[in-house]
Amino acid sequence: MSGIRAERREAREPVVITGLSAVSPLGNTCEQIVDRLFAGCSGVRAIGPDPRARTTRQFVAPVTEIPTPAGMDPHAFADLDRLEQICLAPLAGALADAGFDPQARPRLGLVLGLGAEHLKSWELDFFSGGTRVFEPRRDPALVHRLAGRLGIDGPAVTVAAACASSGYALGMARAWVESGWVDACVAGGCDILSPTSMAAFYNLRALSRRDDDPAKASRPFDRARDGFVMGEGGAFFVLERQKTAVARGARLRGELAGVGTSSDGVHMVMPSSDPVQAARAISAALADAGVVPGDVGYVNAHAAGTPVGDVAEAGAIRIALGEATDAVPVSSTKSMTGHLVSGAAAFEALVCLAAIERQAVPPTVNLDDPDPNCPLDHVPHVPRAHPVDVAVSNSFGFGGSNLCLVLRRAA
Amino acid sequence: MAGGDTGGGGEVSMNESTRQTQHQPGVTIGCHAFLEPRLSEIGELRDQPGLDLPPRFLRHADEHTVVGVHAVLAARATHPAMPPVAGHAVVAAPCQAGRIAGGKTLAQMAVGGGVTVSPHIVPQCSLHSIAGAVSVALGMHGPHLGVGGGPEALGEGLLVAASLLLSSGDPNCNGVWLIATEWDEEPPLDHAGTPLTNPRCRGLAVFLEPLSSPEDGGTMLQPLAFELRMKRSVRGPQFQEPAGGLVAFARALDMCREGAALASWAVACPGGGEIRVRSRSRSVACGLREAA
Repeated sequence: MSGIRAERREAREPVVITGLSAVSPLGNTCEQIVDRLFAGCSGVRAIGPDPRARTTRQFVAPVTEIPTPAGMDPHAFADLDRLEQICLAPLAGALADAGFDPQARPRLGLVLGLGAEHLKSWELDFFSGGTRVFEPRRDPALVHRLAGRLGIDGPAVTVAAACASSGYALGMARAWVESGWVDACVAGGCDILSPTSMAAFYNLRALSRRDDDPAKASRPFDRARDGFVMGEGGAFFVLERQKTAVARGARLRGELAGVGTSSDGVHMVMPSSDPVQAARAISAALADAGVVPGDVGYVNAHAAGTPVGDVAEAGAIRIALGEATDAVPVSSTKSMTGHLVSGAAAFEALVCLAAIERQAVPPTVNLDDPDPNCPLDHVPHVPRAHPVDVAVSNSFGFGGSNLCLVLRRAA
Repeated sequence: MAGGDTGGGGEVSMNESTRQTQHQPGVTIGCHAFLEPRLSEIGELRDQPGLDLPPRFLRHADEHTVVGVHAVLAARATHPAMPPVAGHAVVAAPCQAGRIAGGKTLAQMAVGGGVTVSPHIVPQCSLHSIAGAVSVALGMHGPHLGVGGGPEALGEGLLVAASLLLSSGDPNCNGVWLIATEWDEEPPLDHAGTPLTNPRCRGLAVFLEPLSSPEDGGTMLQPLAFELRMKRSVRGPQFQEPAGGLVAFARALDMCREGAALASWAVACPGGGEIRVRSRSRSVACGLREAA
């Protein structure tokens, strides 16, 4: 088995990104989002009071407006629930960005990374006066409604790995494209803020409890961090074989060069204090991409700002990159966007593409006093010009789910 | 597409336009188990998670997770030579897991606000939770993920499990657990979120192992095969939930295990794929097939 897989890796053709789109607390176009990330802008706001909220004043990073997809009736779009809207808009945007000939559209697949679809759908319905959660019914999954609206005619699935969900979606999509099961695949994920999930994470003591300055609340790697800030949004990508993309004159935004996964196998909530499995995912992704640690120009860390998680990730990065660690800039853009949960991995893959395009690394804002237990080459407050041809994005989720993506400049 | 015995002698006949994708070895089923306890029996299973796990391990778990974990343990006990667990991956495909907990949570929250929300609702009652619990319970280090979540979950789970095994994934992955769960009939809940019926929670656990080549039966522990066909002719998501899909799948696996040469069953994957399970003759190549 491993021999055959190794042979396939040697022989395989690059899978490239030819379409991308995002909605986020920093804006809804890639250019706007990237400009704001590199300017160190924060999307975190104070909201409330909400009678369902756990506290009277909450800090979140909301999406303020979800754009109606081109060609769709705005009234019909407005009738969709927020979860469907926030997925449909960037999904349609990524397909449009890929620029397929409508007369010769390839066989498309769809992989949606979404962790708690049903809980959120029931909640949206319930707080709108509905009773679906109490009824003995089985509703079709969102991914099939999305596929139907966009005419996606290949396989379509939802995958969930908590905060790594949309990264798993990208990995699955690459596998389908490589295998020839589809000609191209749209993949990614988005998430929404919801009162239940905010209360649950608050009660889990995973959220920051700062209540002074919203823009200062998300503090990955900082000694004064005290939890993450929830955000919403995410990103979708169109993946296809490089040869096919070049033949049709598509713009190559980058290559999804490597995917590495592992599980801690230790705890349902807490990351393992031993970072060896997380490091294994990073090393596997580098090996899958055929690169060595010295090739890496940027690491977009998962680092959500939790006291335990950031330390564990720093340890994993040091193990995986070894002696190269101190020469590789690391930042966490969750300091500006909050934690997009299911959508985080795909969004942060987009950040990696931006770093490759701009040859610069976006900063970790609020990193005033780096935690000595997170000894990395941090990029505090302001971006840093740096050669980036290979970028790494880490994502870790509940249940000890570890995922690493390697993005590379398209040849 | 429908579930049930497809007949035809238990073999898949490929027409001339069908081609076998290069380097796509087959998958065998190492072991499986099917449980269907009633809701009223799940509490006892919850308190006795098995292995050396502490009794609290499943305390906050959703009913689907409890049944899924026990199905894996039951299947594992029948495998004569289970490969090292560290290399196992998990794909769990529940249908509407977390609905009872979700109903209770929302009912309580409407009255008492956010303070009533359990911190366990997201980690223990979401789509990833079954796979996470199995991975943690057995100390697995391969990837684990939830798939589907709706009525199409079985086909989606099979598709993703096949993707993990047949694609260029972790070379150390020596097997994938596929877990599918569903209520036989979705229970209606009262407005406090309490179930009004006592349905059965079906849980099927299947251990899928890779074959090095179509001719290599060396790792095949049971006379089963697993096959996936992608039909290019099918356009658009056309999934129809097969009646009794999970039960029929479990029955087909039982028949194959007992040596019935004619057992065969298939399920559509949303978007045109098809997963087929049949008794396997060593002379028959099997693997991923794609209709041209």
